[in-house]
Amino acid sequence: MSFEVIKAGFYSLIQDYGRFGFAQYGLSQSGVADEHAYCWANHLLDNDFNDAVLEITFGSCELNALDNMCIAVTGADLDFKINGVPQPLWHVINVQPNDTLTWSTAKSGIRSYLAVKGGFQTKPLFNSKSVNVRENIGTQLLNGDMLSCQSADKSMDHRMMPSEFIPDYDRNITLRVLPSYQFDLFDEQQKQHFFNQRYTVTSASDRTGCRLDGHVMTNVQARMVSEGICYGSVEITTQGLPIILLKDSPTMGGYPKIATVFSLDLAKLAQRQAGCGVTFELIDIETAQQKRREFNAFFAINIR
Amino acid sequence: MASIKLAGENAIIIYFGCHATSELAGEIAFYTQQLLGSLGDLIIDVVPSYTSLMISYRLNLIQYHDFCRHVEQVLSSSTFAPSDLKSTLIEIPVYYGLDTGLDLSELLDDKGLSLEDFITIHSAKTYLVYAIGFSPAFAFLGKVDDRINSTRLARPRIKIPAGSIGIADDQTAVYPIASSGGWNIVGRTPIDLSLNNPENIKRFSVGDNVKFVPISQQEYVSLGGGL
Repeated sequence: MSFEVIKAGFYSLIQDYGRFGFAQYGLSQSGVADEHAYCWANHLLDNDFNDAVLEITFGSCELNALDNMCIAVTGADLDFKINGVPQPLWHVINVQPNDTLTWSTAKSGIRSYLAVKGGFQTKPLFNSKSVNVRENIGTQLLNGDMLSCQSADKSMDHRMMPSEFIPDYDRNITLRVLPSYQFDLFDEQQKQHFFNQRYTVTSASDRTGCRLDGHVMTNVQARMVSEGICYGSVEITTQGLPIILLKDSPTMGGYPKIATVFSLDLAKLAQRQAGCGVTFELIDIETAQQKRREFNAFFAINIR
Repeated sequence: MASIKLAGENAIIIYFGCHATSELAGEIAFYTQQLLGSLGDLIIDVVPSYTSLMISYRLNLIQYHDFCRHVEQVLSSSTFAPSDLKSTLIEIPVYYGLDTGLDLSELLDDKGLSLEDFITIHSAKTYLVYAIGFSPAFAFLGKVDDRINSTRLARPRIKIPAGSIGIADDQTAVYPIASSGGWNIVGRTPIDLSLNNPENIKRFSVGDNVKFVPISQQEYVSLGGGL
């Protein structure tokens, strides 16, 4: 069972939940940028939470189905169509041989997730199928590739996500952050500066980090001894602007970090286009853990 | 005394001191092993570094405050003695030549050293792995002799060949893959440290010892080294 890649698109990557256990050897976590859309796609298909999907960024992607398969497409609205006919997102769809799936342009959001029943069967390396572009690990789509997946011996019921859960990716967002790392080294004025302004997402953002623009913070501490970086850490660079470190970030870094963004808000951030407004507010560790535990329980996420 | 700080919703960072010393690096490597041994079921990832250790843990299984308490217990129940540290000695053959050591002639001029002096000084020491980062299997080794301590290049190179040995301030390292960088390049190893061989991911661990073994150009080529 497979898809043939007619057009790979701008940036289409096989991703799963991520690569764990290798950070001590300098290997990034990788994994899907938007856990919310990813988890829903697998959930709709009764997949394992860790099943590999295709993360399509900005679109321009075209796949040809070679067999009967059950799929779900979630996340950004990249004008997804089958045989030229617009299709609903967040739904289970049964595709047939010779169906042509297209994602053209980003109407809302950035990243679309194509999940297929049973997950894509690419070769895992270091316990994960996730692509790490910098290290040339995993499957980044190329024109003419065959993407194999498990067969769907029967079509699935037409399940869908309740529409009230569909996120609006065009709205400005408030990111909840934990006071982490060097939070106490920033003075009151610097913290006020950080929490009381609206930053904007810049186009110099990718899976490694989201760079924000805004009023610069002054008197930021110089680089320090490098230390372990955690997903969502907010570095304040020497220029006084934040970079939110994401899944492809290196494992170590030397800029002071004022806070760490709550992971479920990073999923929302992953869909924000350049120019979107971003503000920060504090969340406490107990609340963050409770919310994350509920999310993990709902999607049966259990990192091995 | 170590202090524990929040790093993320499922991560903490333990600070063991302020300055990177070999004693501290050994201590951090030791406690990393202790914590993995005692709390391995709860731990997802560890990132030991110069003065700290970051740990991410399974929040499905344990809450923040309980995890911190467990960590404190492990830290206080064992005292570090350098002899307790399990570490491997890794030997890396290096051809120190003016053809592979792209910055060697300038460095020798600057330091007033002969090539022989330099080779003796760089290869005499057994280096400790202080941290692994920048890219996989990139081990930050220290500390180099003061006589060959060299500041980073003012203009980083766009492409440094895989296997290059570099010096930056008091640190030295091998570039596992071709990459950009500002370290002074003094030689090259013929050994493939890239992830083309997936086993290489675990070649270095923080706390390991590394020794550079000088080889001739002929040996370098016969071991598969490119010029």
